[in-house]
Amino acid sequence: MESGGDRKGISSFELSPEGLYQNSLWAGQKMRFPFRRVFTRETMVNLLFILPSVVLVGYFVYVLIGWNVVVSVSNWKGLTPSYNFVGFGQYVTLFHDPEFIKSLTNNIILILLFVPTSLGLGLLLAILLDSKVRGEGVFRSIYLLPFSLSFVITATLWAWMYNPDVGVINTLLKAIGLGFLQSGWTTDPSIALYCVILAIIWQFSGYTMLIFLAGIKSIPESQIMAAEVDGATGFNLYRRVVIPQLRTSTLSAFVVLMIFALKVFDFIYVLTGGGPAADATYVVPLKMFIETFLRTNFAYGAAIATILFLIVLAIVVPYLYFFIWGEKD
Amino acid sequence: MVNITTKNLTKKYGNTIAVKDLNLQIKDKEFFVFLGPSGCGKTTTLFAIAGLIKIDAGDIWIGDELVSSAEKGIHKAPQERGIAMVFQDYAIYPHMTVFDNIAFPLTISKVKKDEIEARVKKTAELLGISHLLNRKPRQLSGGQRQRVALGRAMVRRPKVFLMDEPLANLDAKLRVQTRTELKKLQLDTGVTTIYVTHDQVEAMTMADRIMVQKDGAVEQIGTPDELYNHPSNLFVAGFIGSPEMNFIDCTLIEERKELHLDAKEFKISLPTKMPSELKSYIGTEIIMGIRPEDLHESESAEGTTQENAIRMNIDLIEPVGPYLLLHLNVGQIPLVTTVKDIKAKAGQEVIMEMDPSKIHIFDKKTTKAII
Amino acid sequence: MGGKGLRFPKPRRIILYVLLIVFVFLFLLPLWTDFTTSFKSIHDIIYTVPVELPLSPTIEPLITAFNLMERPLLNSLTFTVVAMIFSCLLGSINGYILTKIKFRGSNTVFLLFAIGVFIPYQAVLVPLVLTISQLGLYNTLGGLILTHTAYGITITTLLFRNFYGLLPDSLIMAAKVDGAGTWTIYRRIILPLSLLPFVVAAVFQFTSIWNDFLFGVTLARGSEAMPASVALANLKGTTAFNYNVQMAGALWYALPVLIIYLVLGKYLIRGYMAGAIKG
Repeated sequence: MESGGDRKGISSFELSPEGLYQNSLWAGQKMRFPFRRVFTRETMVNLLFILPSVVLVGYFVYVLIGWNVVVSVSNWKGLTPSYNFVGFGQYVTLFHDPEFIKSLTNNIILILLFVPTSLGLGLLLAILLDSKVRGEGVFRSIYLLPFSLSFVITATLWAWMYNPDVGVINTLLKAIGLGFLQSGWTTDPSIALYCVILAIIWQFSGYTMLIFLAGIKSIPESQIMAAEVDGATGFNLYRRVVIPQLRTSTLSAFVVLMIFALKVFDFIYVLTGGGPAADATYVVPLKMFIETFLRTNFAYGAAIATILFLIVLAIVVPYLYFFIWGEKD
Repeated sequence: MVNITTKNLTKKYGNTIAVKDLNLQIKDKEFFVFLGPSGCGKTTTLFAIAGLIKIDAGDIWIGDELVSSAEKGIHKAPQERGIAMVFQDYAIYPHMTVFDNIAFPLTISKVKKDEIEARVKKTAELLGISHLLNRKPRQLSGGQRQRVALGRAMVRRPKVFLMDEPLANLDAKLRVQTRTELKKLQLDTGVTTIYVTHDQVEAMTMADRIMVQKDGAVEQIGTPDELYNHPSNLFVAGFIGSPEMNFIDCTLIEERKELHLDAKEFKISLPTKMPSELKSYIGTEIIMGIRPEDLHESESAEGTTQENAIRMNIDLIEPVGPYLLLHLNVGQIPLVTTVKDIKAKAGQEVIMEMDPSKIHIFDKKTTKAII
Repeated sequence: MGGKGLRFPKPRRIILYVLLIVFVFLFLLPLWTDFTTSFKSIHDIIYTVPVELPLSPTIEPLITAFNLMERPLLNSLTFTVVAMIFSCLLGSINGYILTKIKFRGSNTVFLLFAIGVFIPYQAVLVPLVLTISQLGLYNTLGGLILTHTAYGITITTLLFRNFYGLLPDSLIMAAKVDGAGTWTIYRRIILPLSLLPFVVAAVFQFTSIWNDFLFGVTLARGSEAMPASVALANLKGTTAFNYNVQMAGALWYALPVLIIYLVLGKYLIRGYMAGAIKG
């Protein structure tokens, strides 16, 4: 355009909001501090806003974790805290403790069964619901409902389900003529853990379904059309175009499931209390609780908690790095 | 012989008619463009021909095959129509390499591995992306991705190419470059192509024939030349050509046995050889159309009463590069013209002439062209 | 336009629906039996199969359960609502500061908060009990409120940060050029635009805090502040009460969450997704 050319001296950037913003920042920097400082007055005010939260989270998360580690290397037993340093004695004891080994083993079994199955079931439900189903929203809400309930509730419900005498499952089996399949369920030490696992798969599948559903729906329609034109429909479409693009969703769901599987306490405590037969359904968090609050072996319990924390950290930190810094991907 | 025919093609979305009663004949090897503003139905028509959507009425033939018929309940799946498609956002699969993307349709039809390799490599070479075969889409620029999408369409050696605004997401310079390449490609391969766009420059430069659509109906079908020089209605006349045609309200009057267009501010006398239909419009209001390049600065000296010479004011002069865009006005009537050069300046007066043989006249009510 | 999804011809779609309905039964079975059992008398428990409706419905179990859980339910309601409000407000401010008022290390601060979302609470339990009792807040609603607020901030900050990150920076810049300070911008620009994330965060927090058991059983076993979750667990643990009362108790405890789920469910869903999907 001939008219409205650049006037000398002032570029259009400087008159733009971005330009003015930069300039005012710069001016703010010069304002009160003659010596060059990173912090302007404005930044200090800003930090003030976030201070209470930083204090709270800093204390309740990081200080307490540190404190816990300190406790774990003490010899605190019983109701009076004692902080005599005893090195890693507690940790050594842990690995010779059959109950702990059992808890660890159970946890591993739980992870190996719970995580893949929940992911698989969630994926299946998501694919089913993606097929232009009528009432998709209703189905989705129903499958997700268990996830929104407290573990205390679901444990109570499943206690009723698994009750060998008058429980839901056994009576149903009897009623439809499959009485021979009845079992002690959670009263049977050899399968109690698997009963627990089944119940938590029930509770979590709605969540994984949700994640996968969102992932599927984020694939642009044009890609699906292109695949259709290329001849990939139905099974081929999912296998080659949709599912490979669900990697991020799978990762997210995976991390959430893993962490839950490592810290699952409420559910098992209420459903079985760790039993039957003393430790059939012990998992690490449960063991920690029992050691700490029932047997008052505080230092020992703290050690267990620290180990648990480290395992979770090893999973979470890389995952968060990937998401916060890898956002350009 | 791959020609495409539609008969009475209709598609509704709820109560909205997206495409109404479309009758179309596309010739073998033709580069045919669907042109129109957003929402005119061009993409819907394309998708109907592709088989991605079902039609509510009418028939579609590709070659000799009836691929869609609402009445007979026939609907052939897209992959069975021998078509290939390029989407506006390319729709290439982000999790596959370029090679796998191009090879994808071949793997679905279970072509043999070495043949796949050969064809993919050849296609990549044709498009100049051989060096990108192992990359993933996110590492490619927009132009490169577009070629991958093209490659995927070409590798199948389809009977028909369908393209939905493939250049829309490219920057201006790349767009012009790719335009030429696409046209060359089509001439080399000789594949019947339907190309959808809202950009009339693209349509004019690439098409063998163009169909202009608006609100689901066909405004005109013709060669670029026909559409430019003989637009059949006001919409086509205004849509095609940049800068836009000048439209002036005037009345057709008869003076001394000659026809004139009276625009209150000025009068234009029409050449004597006018179609007889025009006579029925005498005394009525019509719309006159004249393209900017058909207005010239008058060569005659000031003061001579040259017929059709009009005194105008220059509002603004915009230098476009190869020419100057003049914004003029005569009283309340704005006009735009393109000139190579002009001595007058903004705010001054200039005498302009219009080429009477280039005047278009439109019926004010029906907007159809009379000349 | 062709939608994605399994394109089965008509008869095969029946299999799809059958499958879906089977899953509906599987998912709802425990809840259904909860519902039916809560209305059964002892007689009915013995003589009917759990999935059957009661022969002569009674609200006895519900009344008994309510009497046992009245105080805990009230406790839960109180500390849940208060902690929810606090954690949402603080989370909103944090999200604002971290996204719009960037400073060196704001990403690090956020990372530290985010880790807090994922930590197993066992790792802080012991010192937490010590802290709370030293503050004299053991067995009090205050102790629970403090705890839930502190840990709630981590997830609410995440939620608000995601939301505010989507607001264009130019909004803030324009306000600054107009002379607005940080707090003014928050109050007059950010806050009015925050209805959606507040609802999401509130619903999410209410559900999380209401559902909590661990903190309840560690910090508030006395009746002054016992949450409903602990009360229900106790109810289940004793043999003094029959299944119908236990089920009724579960129903009472589930009620607020169920109502929220039915009415505001879609916001809860957004909360779940925020933890998993970036941006």
